[in-house]
Amino acid sequence: MVSKTVKVINAQGLHMRPAGVFAKAMAAHKDCKVTLNANGKSVNGKAVMQLMAACIKYGCTVEIACDGEDEQAVLDEAAAMFESGFGE
Amino acid sequence: MRIIDLLSKQSITLGATPKNKSEAIDLLVELQVKGGKIKDKDMYKKGILAREELGSTAVGDGIAIPHAKSTAVSSPSLAAITVPNGVDYEAMDDEPSNLLFMIAAPNDGDVHLEVLSRLMTILMDEEFRLNLMNAKDKDTFLKIIDNKEKEKYPDETTAVKKSDSGYKVLAVTACPTGIAHTYMAAEALEKSGKKLGITIKVETNGSGGAKNVLTKEEIKNCDGIIVAADKTVEMSRFDGKKVIRTKVSDGIKIPDELIKKIESGDAPVYHHEGAKASDDSSSDESFGRKLYKHLMNGVSNMLPFTVAGGIFIAIAFLIDTISGAPQDSGFGTHTAAAAFFKSIGGYAFSFMIPVLAAYIGKSIADRPGFLVGLVGGYLATTGSTFAKISGDIPSGFLGALFAGFVGGFVMLMIEKLCDRMPKALNGIKPVLIYPLAGLGAIAIIMCAVNPFMGMINTGLSNFLNDMGGSSKIILGCILGGMMSIDMGGPFNKAAYVFGTAAIASGSYDIMAAVMIGGMVPPIAIALSTTFFKSRWTEEEKKNGAVNYLMGLSFITEGAIPYAAADPLRVIPSCIVGAATAGGLSMAFNCTLMAPHGGIFVFAVVGNWPLYLLSLAVGSVVGMLMLAVLKKKVKATTDKT
Repeated sequence: MVSKTVKVINAQGLHMRPAGVFAKAMAAHKDCKVTLNANGKSVNGKAVMQLMAACIKYGCTVEIACDGEDEQAVLDEAAAMFESGFGE
Repeated sequence: MRIIDLLSKQSITLGATPKNKSEAIDLLVELQVKGGKIKDKDMYKKGILAREELGSTAVGDGIAIPHAKSTAVSSPSLAAITVPNGVDYEAMDDEPSNLLFMIAAPNDGDVHLEVLSRLMTILMDEEFRLNLMNAKDKDTFLKIIDNKEKEKYPDETTAVKKSDSGYKVLAVTACPTGIAHTYMAAEALEKSGKKLGITIKVETNGSGGAKNVLTKEEIKNCDGIIVAADKTVEMSRFDGKKVIRTKVSDGIKIPDELIKKIESGDAPVYHHEGAKASDDSSSDESFGRKLYKHLMNGVSNMLPFTVAGGIFIAIAFLIDTISGAPQDSGFGTHTAAAAFFKSIGGYAFSFMIPVLAAYIGKSIADRPGFLVGLVGGYLATTGSTFAKISGDIPSGFLGALFAGFVGGFVMLMIEKLCDRMPKALNGIKPVLIYPLAGLGAIAIIMCAVNPFMGMINTGLSNFLNDMGGSSKIILGCILGGMMSIDMGGPFNKAAYVFGTAAIASGSYDIMAAVMIGGMVPPIAIALSTTFFKSRWTEEEKKNGAVNYLMGLSFITEGAIPYAAADPLRVIPSCIVGAATAGGLSMAFNCTLMAPHGGIFVFAVVGNWPLYLLSLAVGSVVGMLMLAVLKKKVKATTDKT
């Protein structure tokens, strides 16, 4: 398992659109588990509803943990999405 | 930020049947509008559609959460529909959606993210979703959400409980000026309600009219109403409810106590009996306080007429000055445009005095008092007497104060007398008997009082004529002072007529003293609001600047609202200032051939630099007098 801590940089936080984009991208990696730890909660990175329920706001620190096939590549992809502000 | 606090019953539709996404959105937007938090429906809907453009908000599992952050939203709210047969909301998983929540969030803050998070947290539970779909009515629907929220967020013990439809406690706040205290009390009550876990809605009757107005439905369903007001508010709507009436300052100081009193059911049930409301309601207030409240009700309603009318007349003078019209008795009406402004301004002025009396009367005796005050005030401007019903010497604003107070109390007496009439007549009392008797009474009273005004006037005129030979300076002082005693009543008129008569007979120094006496009061007050701010209320300060313009234009009426609000301190100050200016004007041999116009006719004033000096000295004297006589407003905060 690999993990990395990132900061939310887009002003609106992880609202519905970025959450959807993120979940979709993660879901493509069927054999790698993606978990986000934020606000004291641990949620499945592939489930859009769970992502939103975590209420991840601007400035939040999020730990991304990937476990499974190509885990480093998946982690890099996930971290890159956060760091790019989900294109916002 | 609890879901059930954002989702009101009227914003829910169970078992909806939208045919497609667009219909579902229309339905939800409509429900949001019903919730009352949308200022601009079209703009809000545009926001929703723009968001859907970016990708559907159907997140799967039959759930769709369309949302928009928009300036069209005044405060966060939710709308919800259930669609048993599902609707194609272009979901990520291509499944139909059957549980739709629409979020409306204001443009600032993270509210929308928090609401989204909460919705998702509770909606993840499949059993909960099923329960919602099967809810047989809206109450059950809300109850299921409430239970779920309690389960998921157990630490929110102080959460605000919403009564079945709307609010448990309602409140109305109002202060005479309607700028600061109204809103401070509202805020204190709202805060206290939140702290105590009791839903409260506060209507503010501020200077811009009533905001957040209580609806009939809300009044019907609440436990009780707190009226924290220093001026009269519409009370008939609270008939039969438990009502606490108190000062606006109590709303600021003891909001907890007030809310607890309503919730404990200790408040007395309020019975609205037409005009008697203000009579028995405020028994714990001192008589002086009540008089002040009535007076301020009149003054604050009169003020807009004074300001707008005065500025119109000043514009008329300006236009005639620019167009080079002759500065004679027709000054201000020579060009068509000037005549327009002068006439309209004059019409607004002609309402000023009746409105003052009308709202004093209304404050005392509710609606029947309005008629009595209005007509009484009008009779004060016509000066009608039994001998000369078409009008004689007007009694001006002092007569209007008299008409308002006497008329109001006479109306209350009439109503008391009518109590003995047969019950069968109750229906026609407010529509026929009160107005008829009130009109008759005020007509007789005013016609009986007005001749005294005429006598005062005649006496004064004779007095002034007799003075012709004596000291010019003393005459100037007296004329100046008279101009500002009643600002349009017998004293003012006597002095003014004396001045114009003097023009006709070729002595122009008298008119100069008269005009300067009428210019000083507004300027003295304006100076005082600029340099001695602590003596005036917010509203008085705001309107102070207009008084410079009014004073310079010889529109003495600008001072009336200030004089009416505190006659015993303001009038003497004005008189002393005006008398000083009048005396100086005479001493400097200033002359004036136009009977009106203020600074706009200074070109025809003889010795105008010294005339200006007289005006400045008189105004400063008036200002200093005001500073000495008037108390700091702080000491009387609970009055404002």
